[in-house]
Amino acid sequence: MFQQYIFNTLITSSLYSIIGISFAIIYRTTRFLHFTHAVVFTSGAYFTFLFYKLFGFSIYFSITLAIIFSLLLGCLIEKSIYKPLRKKQASSMILLLASLGIYILLQNLISMIFGDDTKSIRSGVVKEGINILGARITPIQIIIIITSVIVTILLLLFLKKTKTGKAMKAVANDVELANISGISSNRVILISFAIGSALAGLAGILVAFDVDMTPTMGMNTLMMGVVAMIVGGNNIKGIVCAALLLGFAQNFGVWYISSQWQDAIAFVILIIFLLFKPEGFYGKKLRKQSV
Amino acid sequence: MTYLLHIFILIGIYIILSLSLNLIAGYTGILSMAHAAFYGIGAYIAALMALNFNSPFILNLFLAVIGSSILGALVGIPSLRIKDDYFIIATFAFQIIIFNILNNLVSFTGGPMGLPGIPQPVIFGIKISSHFSFLVLTAILCAITYFICNKIVKSPFGRILKAIREDEVFTKSLGKNVSAYKVKIFMISSGLAAISGVMYATYITYIDPTSFTLMESIFIISIVIIGGAGNLKGSIVGAVVLVMLPEILRFVGLPNSIAANIRQMLYGGLLVVFMLWRPQGFIGEYSFNRNNENG
Repeated sequence: MFQQYIFNTLITSSLYSIIGISFAIIYRTTRFLHFTHAVVFTSGAYFTFLFYKLFGFSIYFSITLAIIFSLLLGCLIEKSIYKPLRKKQASSMILLLASLGIYILLQNLISMIFGDDTKSIRSGVVKEGINILGARITPIQIIIIITSVIVTILLLLFLKKTKTGKAMKAVANDVELANISGISSNRVILISFAIGSALAGLAGILVAFDVDMTPTMGMNTLMMGVVAMIVGGNNIKGIVCAALLLGFAQNFGVWYISSQWQDAIAFVILIIFLLFKPEGFYGKKLRKQSV
Repeated sequence: MTYLLHIFILIGIYIILSLSLNLIAGYTGILSMAHAAFYGIGAYIAALMALNFNSPFILNLFLAVIGSSILGALVGIPSLRIKDDYFIIATFAFQIIIFNILNNLVSFTGGPMGLPGIPQPVIFGIKISSHFSFLVLTAILCAITYFICNKIVKSPFGRILKAIREDEVFTKSLGKNVSAYKVKIFMISSGLAAISGVMYATYITYIDPTSFTLMESIFIISIVIIGGAGNLKGSIVGAVVLVMLPEILRFVGLPNSIAANIRQMLYGGLLVVFMLWRPQGFIGEYSFNRNNENG
């Protein structure tokens, strides 16, 4: 039993950390809460369903196409809505409200096209899972954990080593200063949307292979990612730690109270962190409101 | 005719909700995504009192307002430490925790099955049961709410709220106790939101947690923003437009299965369009355009 809980924690945490990181990549450069990310995540799953089940493409081709389409969706939203808003010097509140609007629009579009019922891209019978160290774990769950580790390492390297990664850090620190130094902030923001959206799409596909899909699956998962980002202090290492903490609290919390309270557990952790350690695990101290 | 009365009652309920949220969002400049939680708390307090103790309507209304404003203080106090984006996330969190409590404490709130058979209000011996009498009651409560909100925003208290919205640090430097103002306005606003909860519970006579979700909170904030933040009349315009507009779709003859989606897409789309071209809404005075440097 105990091993099973450990594995469940690892699976949940891997998922939260992919979502959290994909959200943070965008949040770092744009400084507003891009809630439409939830629908980009869902779109990954539904694009795969569309290509694989309805068009009959091969599974790997469908997944690749779906990730590309999620990426394009994210970039399209940035180009058509956020960029014009930024040009008008819109505040982060306005951007956030616009993103909520797009979220509602697209989420309902998905449920209108595909219906509100659960759709599945899992093929054939439900597999029983492999026995590892006394815990049952399905192949897709192993893939989730491995993907999460690979993605995290690749992103850390990308941000540290490449020129674009450094430019992203620069824009995250100070947009104006970055612009003065010859970095095109619009280009960097577009790249961060591309990376974040592709990752979100990938996460959506992984979740769909594990537990199927519904049009509203995005918001809840995204909120967990956002909690991981805030608790982790908007820093990749911090997000991984926070995701582990959340996964641990949710899975082991089940020992004491029933599993319906998993969401509440995560949000109580969030509120505790916001009140007592708002800078998160690794984050820098927040500045006092600048005048 | 009953259908029209029903729409008017719903508009009345949403007017109370958006007026009260306008005090926080439009006048104080704090976005709160937890308004449906207070709406729900009001509804559940009144319903549980009426079902368990058969207590009179006026007492239930009073208790709902008090209970909701105490919880409002719970959200208001963190707003002193947590700012902007993080505060919005905190209100999200509060909203989801309240939803979880309503949904999971089955023995107390009925859980997903909800609370059926809530008695209709009896005021001074008059039983309110017809649609028309409900409309009259809603209109009276709307008028009272408008009167209270109007008094607040026209008073020195209201001017200080606006000052906080425009420049919090500067207001503090004038010796105003910003923290106390924020907590007070949160208490007033959530107390008023409870009124519409009580009305909803006694009008529909059945409540379940799905009426008080995060999406409902987003809908209420959309009313405030599309109508016009920082202007009480804007909230009335917003509620009328956003509740009426989807009803027009009914006459276009859309199949029921997609009507709900179209309804939501409509207000999602409106929200985006307004943010792009008219962030102050129809007749608003505030457009959330204070740029905050603080993450």
